[in-house]
Amino acid sequence: MDRYLILSDGSAYKGQAFGAQATTSGNIIYNTNMTGYQEVITNPIYHNQIVVFTVPTLGNIGIKYQNYESIDPVIKGVVVHSISNISTNRKQKVTLDDFLKLHNIPGIYDIDTRKLVHQLHVNKNLKASIVDYPDDHAFDQLNATVLPDSLLDSNQNTYVVPGDGPNIVVLDFGLKKGMLRELSKRHANIIVVPASFSLENILNLDPDGIILSSGPGDPNLVDKVILDKIVDLEKQIPLLGIGLGHQLFALANGASIEPLQIAHEGSNHPILEIVTKQIMYANQAENYIVQRKTVNHEDLLITHVDLIDGSIQGLRHRNYPAFSVEFSPDATPGPLESTRIFDDFIDML
Amino acid sequence: MKKEVVDSMAMQRALTRITYEIIEKNRGVNNLILMGIKTRGVFLAKRIATRLQQLENAQIPVGEIDISNYRDDIKENVKNTAPSISGDYGDINDKKIVVVDDVLYTGRTIRAALDAIMDLGRPSSINLAVLVDRGHRELPIRADFVGKNIPSAQSETIKVLVQEIDKKDAVEIITNN
Repeated sequence: MDRYLILSDGSAYKGQAFGAQATTSGNIIYNTNMTGYQEVITNPIYHNQIVVFTVPTLGNIGIKYQNYESIDPVIKGVVVHSISNISTNRKQKVTLDDFLKLHNIPGIYDIDTRKLVHQLHVNKNLKASIVDYPDDHAFDQLNATVLPDSLLDSNQNTYVVPGDGPNIVVLDFGLKKGMLRELSKRHANIIVVPASFSLENILNLDPDGIILSSGPGDPNLVDKVILDKIVDLEKQIPLLGIGLGHQLFALANGASIEPLQIAHEGSNHPILEIVTKQIMYANQAENYIVQRKTVNHEDLLITHVDLIDGSIQGLRHRNYPAFSVEFSPDATPGPLESTRIFDDFIDML
Repeated sequence: MKKEVVDSMAMQRALTRITYEIIEKNRGVNNLILMGIKTRGVFLAKRIATRLQQLENAQIPVGEIDISNYRDDIKENVKNTAPSISGDYGDINDKKIVVVDDVLYTGRTIRAALDAIMDLGRPSSINLAVLVDRGHRELPIRADFVGKNIPSAQSETIKVLVQEIDKKDAVEIITNN
């Protein structure tokens, strides 16, 4: 069935429907990962986003239980050149198409994604809709859409992932499960708490370490109460910030955050670890970045930089055992080498 | 029997962590001098100095301590006459010294190194960084920065290998039967 992808700059692409038949709107971005479509689709960081995949085809490895980054995906739509509907499940046949239908997420294929990505590279910050027909009404609807961008308050539960190692409290800003997986591999006892959890309640859990999780949204809109909490925590307990958590760690220590001109969505940027001059590749899902000139070198050390655009990818506090990375060290998807960030954190406790 | 307990990557990470801890503890790298104990401690000290330089853009002096003159198991008359500390480390008075060694065991080597340093002047502080702490101390000495704690039996040998002279980075436990 024909469907249309329409963009807020007035352009429209005709394609074929897959997944749910719903009409959807979101910010449109593109992701260059060659593998790991299920991880990208279920990553909470794509809250309210329509994701264009540059990889030519999706669906060719089915849907696997190991690859859920969240159980209920919050992505708004999937755009790709072609799909294949293969199921690799043993018990129940679930293809990518079934999966998207199940979660009411529309998809569109048979799109010239090369042309589309070029357009997104030139015209930044576009919104898009997947609709049945690209009439004026559809464009009006799209332009009137206002998208909330944070998942900060979405988790109000506290839950434990038991382990017999160090006790780690994770502040949930919209975390992806890959992080919990990496901590579980290292036998950590993980307690996930809502972002609003009070300092006193965190300390009562007797943590060996604190993790500020990744998540979607603009860090500049986060309540100052949370930044004050981070300042209090970093002085007392070893701390690791990831993604949004890294940006909040930077904000709490006086730096500013700005939107990236060209978002990093993929695993193909070389990242330099300054202390060893070694290069690693990691999965990146970055729309915001720490402004270099606002970093106070009395308090913070710049530990990692992106060699493509020079952006800051890692920070460390000079006086406390606290550090943070902008990229996703859980390697879901992406190269495994960055997972040693978790070893560094566990060794610090 | 030989068993590798720390591989090259883990050793690199341990040295990196010690580097950050030195910055944390000393509040930067001002007035810092690293003193490696020969042989392997010197290579480790140089690697930490390189890391500090890459992070802070500052040249950190590295001294090399030969403890032969200060050993407690060698009689006075056989001591050699070579200087105990070499390298371009300058004046040590009021400096912050970090002594670097590969393995901390009885503590007697560190005691000798402390004597060698004290004979040169009065640093404002001396800290100790070791790649491996294997326990069995015979003197009241502890390390400030430890790469890895490896509890061991006294019958075992702990061997640190470094790329510079051993062609690879590793820590091995050798069980002597």
